Amino acid sequence: MSQRAREEILGKLKGAPKAKTVPRPYVPPLTELSWNGEQLIANFTQNLTAQTGVVHRVKDSAEAKAKLAEIFAEEGLTTIMASTDAVVAPLDLRAWGKEMGVRVLTAGDFADRDAYKNAVFTEVQAGVTGADYGVAESGTIGLIHDRNQPRLISIAPITHIALLPVGRLFPVYESVTERVFGDKNKLPGQFTFTTGPSMTGDIQGGQFKGMHGPRKLIVILIG
Amino acid sequence: MKTVSMFIPCTVDLFLPEIGEATYHLLERLGVDPIYHDEQTCCGQPAINAGFVKQARDVARHFIEVFGNDEAVVSPSGSCVCTVKHHYPELFCDEPVWFRRAEELAPRIFELSQYIVDVLGVEDCGASYPGRVAYHESCHVLRGLGVSEQPKKLIAKVKGAELVPLKFAETCCGFGGEFAISYPDISEAMVKEKCDHYLASGADVLLLCEPGCLLNIGGYLSRNHPGKKAMHLAQFLAGSGTGSTSSDGHGKEG
Amino acid sequence: MDIKTEQFVDVARKELKNDRNKQFLGVLPYGITISRQRSMQTFADPEAANDYGRAIRAEVIARLSELLEEFEKNAAANGAKIIWAETAAEANAFVLNLARERGVRYVTKGKSMVTEEMGLNDVLQENGIEPFETDLGEFIAQQLHRPPFHIVGPALNIPVEEISDLFIAKADMKEPTTDPVKLGYAARLYLRDKFHHLAMGITGVNMAVAETGSIINVENEGNIRLNKSSPRIQVSIMSLEKVVPTMADAMHMIRLLCRNCTGQKLSAYVSIDSGPKKSDEMDGPEELYIIILDNGRSKIYQDQQTREALRCIRCGACLAACPVYCKIGGYPYGWAYSGPMGQVLSPLLIGLDRTHDLFHACTLCGACKQFCPAGIDHPKMFLYYRMLEAQADTEQKGDFIPDKPAKLFDLWSWGAARAWRWKIAVKTMRPMMNYHAKDGVIRKTVAPLYGWFRTRDLPVMAKKTFHDRWTKIKKSR
Repeated sequence: MSQRAREEILGKLKGAPKAKTVPRPYVPPLTELSWNGEQLIANFTQNLTAQTGVVHRVKDSAEAKAKLAEIFAEEGLTTIMASTDAVVAPLDLRAWGKEMGVRVLTAGDFADRDAYKNAVFTEVQAGVTGADYGVAESGTIGLIHDRNQPRLISIAPITHIALLPVGRLFPVYESVTERVFGDKNKLPGQFTFTTGPSMTGDIQGGQFKGMHGPRKLIVILIG
Repeated sequence: MKTVSMFIPCTVDLFLPEIGEATYHLLERLGVDPIYHDEQTCCGQPAINAGFVKQARDVARHFIEVFGNDEAVVSPSGSCVCTVKHHYPELFCDEPVWFRRAEELAPRIFELSQYIVDVLGVEDCGASYPGRVAYHESCHVLRGLGVSEQPKKLIAKVKGAELVPLKFAETCCGFGGEFAISYPDISEAMVKEKCDHYLASGADVLLLCEPGCLLNIGGYLSRNHPGKKAMHLAQFLAGSGTGSTSSDGHGKEG
Repeated sequence: MDIKTEQFVDVARKELKNDRNKQFLGVLPYGITISRQRSMQTFADPEAANDYGRAIRAEVIARLSELLEEFEKNAAANGAKIIWAETAAEANAFVLNLARERGVRYVTKGKSMVTEEMGLNDVLQENGIEPFETDLGEFIAQQLHRPPFHIVGPALNIPVEEISDLFIAKADMKEPTTDPVKLGYAARLYLRDKFHHLAMGITGVNMAVAETGSIINVENEGNIRLNKSSPRIQVSIMSLEKVVPTMADAMHMIRLLCRNCTGQKLSAYVSIDSGPKKSDEMDGPEELYIIILDNGRSKIYQDQQTREALRCIRCGACLAACPVYCKIGGYPYGWAYSGPMGQVLSPLLIGLDRTHDLFHACTLCGACKQFCPAGIDHPKMFLYYRMLEAQADTEQKGDFIPDKPAKLFDLWSWGAARAWRWKIAVKTMRPMMNYHAKDGVIRKTVAPLYGWFRTRDLPVMAKKTFHDRWTKIKKSR
């Protein structure tokens, strides 16, 4: 079916009258491109906060852990799932969690997908992940999903805590997509941009956070 | 003396001829010699809007024959100007000779306020009006021709007149030619809202540059709010000079 | 989804009387317009940004087959399986067979206009596979069996009381409530269980990037991400015009999409899939199917004018801009696409003969065109459809032959082509038009013009037209 349909469809499109392609018009460069350093951080924070995201800034990973402890205590978190990406893994959250009385799970703890899904959908109260990128123009975090950054950890639990080293902050989406999609042979299965918690306005236009994904998004900026 | 050829649209010719007279008197007062080709009829807009392009072409050819040699054509209707300016070349895209004639005519036709401000360079028409006015931004004048500042400049120079803001001035009044007749429920809801905003504006006259909107808004006001006036800008500007405006913006039998 | 486009006038009349709608439509589009304008201000030159988006869409249309082939090649290299479908029936059959083969009992869906167009839910349901819409608004609309009220918020207009009753009956909610947050939470719990045990998720596609073979979904709720991350099988369905040349183009279009859609700089989630999950990943789809659906579009593409409709990116800006939509809401349009977007798309997808009112119920005010970030000239499209209809163009399924109007316009154009004929016609018409005239005003008249006179007067047809008056003016000069 598909092959015949393919030939039919492409055949018809190719047989249709040709239209001229016109050159792209000039568009002034995005104003955000001029941001750097503290401007990036300030705009990232402002934009994400406008979407009810919470942004904390800490100096280093030791402070990040202290901030996590604070958040965990505040939110009453006792069971969480963490990714094992390059930001989170070195923190050794499992050992830290034992001291704090927090059960820290990772996808690797589970024998199969179903067991992992049971945990991430029903057991854990939060997902803790690193973020590969931050985008200041809209207060967005970018995650490359791979074996160390499973997809559901940042979307299934009701709280998402993301750790973002400030060196990973860029002004606009293109700064990120050029890096992620630049090499066609190394594309991630999934890449996601997240800007604030899950939300809907579908009932009478009233805003409601935590529709299907996290109700709370907390970003800890490190550096 | 500069001459200009007047195109008086069929709606004006038949139902609102005093707008034609006002246009004439206004132009004359501004030192222009307005001429009028008696051979003119209609621009063909109704047929184009209904999809009858073959019939529209016949009428458009007549229009081009009548106005084709004029240096400048002016009309008190934004939508008719749009028809000639934008639709004629499209109508004749497969007829090179007529296409060229349509293309040549397009830049020479102007909506009245556009002509006065942009071509004549005049803003003060010597009119006066002691009261508050609102301005409705007719779709084809605003979005079709990009004419919005010109009428406001003219109004600003009318002695004693105060232009008050009209909420949603840029929203369509619900005329749309055949639309008003084929979809009266929707059209009525739209014109009602337009008139509600006018009433709420505190203005004692609603000005516009489009006879279609005037028939619609004026017709609704006449039925539902008999004391309130809608008026073509030409009548408003010509009014204090010649006294030719009618009290309700509608034609009295002449 | 049932096609009810032919009931436009009746449904519109009913909706106009709905006070809730009035209140709602009086506020919402205005709010959307304000937030859109505000969000566009981040661009140094908002209109240039729009024009750039319009140029991208123009290029997509011009290079459509080439971009689709490039997309196909790259997506396949990423490990996605590309399925081409000429008709909705073919696409539906593919999804159904796949679900059966894999022993799937139910599927969840992300909000996808193209699956509405296909009528996929009905096909699955009839064959014993339960489809669950998971976008909150779409879930409510699905349970109520109503078409979308608005493309972005399909159930925005439904009163909370009605939603409460619905959720008690159909979504395991225990206590009645009028709190939108509690209602939303009830839907979350109900659908969460579906996501948890999901075997097959179905989504639409906002953009397909030719350069990388990636598909992109833009959403706020997170349901699409769950649809794609939880199950082993992901089916993403795109109509063929969704392709864009490059990732940079996609980012520009996403900026415009989000701003025009909801006034956001970016929706909460943008997810970009390039193939299925890698073998060492714990979640994500093992199989990713991308269905490229034609459903009449390659035919629409044959005509340089109608193909302009394929520019549409489904942002919904035209709905908030449209003074007609703002009076009647989404139901009268009778199908998946409402507002000017629907008026442009539906006639081409389901035929001019079934959509007469969609391309006539428009004042040609041009507000939609002004805002459209894809560069569609809606009024021009409607005039073109009217022309095809007037010509009874059978290619576009215009079986309807408007015989009477044609004769009327024949007569009219004959009359308007010479002034002497025009003047005779005026003299003949005047007594008829002015038959009921009183005090210079006509308050009622003969049947065809009845619609005008219910709430409007018309000045009498002047005894002396401007033609007549000019003779006098000329003499006095």
